[in-house]
Amino acid sequence: MTMSNWSAVKRPIPVPNDLTRAFWDGARRGELLFQRCHTCGNRQHPPAPTCTNCVSTDLGFEPVEGRGTIYAYTVMFHSGDRRFADAIPYASVIVELDDAPGALIAGNLLGVPYTEAHIGRRVRVVFEPLNDEITLPQFELDQ
Amino acid sequence: MAWEHRFSVAVSGIGMSAITRSAEKPLAALALEAVQRAVADSGLQMDDINGLATYAELPAAGHTIIDGLSIVSVNAMMTMLKLPNLRWHLQNETVNIGGAVQTATNALIAGVCDYVVVWRALHNPTGIYTAPPASHVGGPQQFTAPYGFSGIVQSLAAEYARYLERHGQSREKMAALAIAQRKHANLTPEAYFHDTPLTRDDYLNSRMIAYPFCLFDCDIPVQGAMAMVLTRTDRARELRPKPALLAGYGQRIKVEVGGRIASVADYMAAGSSSSNLTWERAGLGPQDVDVAQIYDGFAGSTIYGIESYGFAKEGEALDFVQDGNVEIGGGLPINTFGGSLSAGRLHGIWHIAEAAMQVSGRAGAHQVPGAKIGFAGASGANINATTFVFADEPY
Ligand SMILES: [Zn+2]
Repeated sequence: MTMSNWSAVKRPIPVPNDLTRAFWDGARRGELLFQRCHTCGNRQHPPAPTCTNCVSTDLGFEPVEGRGTIYAYTVMFHSGDRRFADAIPYASVIVELDDAPGALIAGNLLGVPYTEAHIGRRVRVVFEPLNDEITLPQFELDQ
Repeated sequence: MAWEHRFSVAVSGIGMSAITRSAEKPLAALALEAVQRAVADSGLQMDDINGLATYAELPAAGHTIIDGLSIVSVNAMMTMLKLPNLRWHLQNETVNIGGAVQTATNALIAGVCDYVVVWRALHNPTGIYTAPPASHVGGPQQFTAPYGFSGIVQSLAAEYARYLERHGQSREKMAALAIAQRKHANLTPEAYFHDTPLTRDDYLNSRMIAYPFCLFDCDIPVQGAMAMVLTRTDRARELRPKPALLAGYGQRIKVEVGGRIASVADYMAAGSSSSNLTWERAGLGPQDVDVAQIYDGFAGSTIYGIESYGFAKEGEALDFVQDGNVEIGGGLPINTFGGSLSAGRLHGIWHIAEAAMQVSGRAGAHQVPGAKIGFAGASGANINATTFVFADEPY
């Protein structure tokens, strides 16, 4: 009974821009790509014009493994956004990946009851196609 | 070393409009009323005012901004007041109303004006406060909105869940802070919830909004305005009210890593980067404070403020607020007007004004007896963290 029902949810659709297009191209192929600084090696997300560590502008996109831990989460009960009303209550998580410490990526916790969301739990990325152009990275427990 | 301009600027008159839930009057009329009352409270004439400052933002996404209805810009106020002697004005874009008060202070110290009115007017839009994201989302929202994770409440709720689990704390302890603030609102005639009590059962049985935040962890949006007159202390001493002397101020100078998802900033670094400037300038510390106003857009913000400003150790603020410690009569009364949770969301100006009123001994039924040193953190400790210390007299 505590599983969130995502079947009727109409998610807002991301619009890639010059900074984020490579990320979404990767996700469509089933790859999670984070920016990596060619000067200091820092991995960061969301994409930014400069390295958040050393301020270098020499950045490229490289795959990350997609395993990590829940850094923060909330369980949404309020149905102010009617598009998500059927899924309530649902867990939104912020994940820190093992190979990109300090970078944070958002998702929903899929496949388990929302009560399973806790700080530090192991998760791995899965991919959820929204349409022909956009595939969303999502997370499930990594057991 | 203490600030060379310590005690040289003071808050004099304070005024506010009625605080209502919906827009019964255009916002500009409420802002005008607040400004007129602040000037009258000082015993000044409107023609004496030669400086104006505000922070005008409507902190709610997705609404058409109409000057005079949803915000009151400095241009709108100038148009209404037609001040014959105006010499300086400001509408700041960052650090909220605290930044307007701080910059007005600088203008007074620089001698470019003599009597500044700072106001903040808050509109409560009809319907949902923060409108949902559009069907297609660019910018930073492309990484959050698809997950139903787009409003400020969810960002701050996620940060608070992390806080609770990292520190082994329980959300039920927040009832003590919500109840303390409601008791203070019950003593404050202007507070939105002046006539409405709040019990521990009310808190524990309230509906969840975004876990761990329940309804009573969220502030109450209102329509209203508040204004204060700032002037140099020598002039303030010749006016009607007992002045509140500004001993020091600070603003956040540490930011979270740019562009990270949600507001999970390091609140200890953010808040203390502001309060350390304030303590240094004022030449005192948190142990010297008699009464504190700590911004509570959501209740978690006050918890971060209590810790990062130095009133309690990291992870211990929920224990600090228990057993009446932050109620009037306790060890450190906090949000003695009711705060945004119980008095209404005026987005920080009420916190500054209450700190000033307390050290002036003008807080009426919610006066902390003998308060001499008042602290205000006028915006989220994890966000903008403008901080102030006011004193009744030089020390
Ligand atoms: Zn770098």
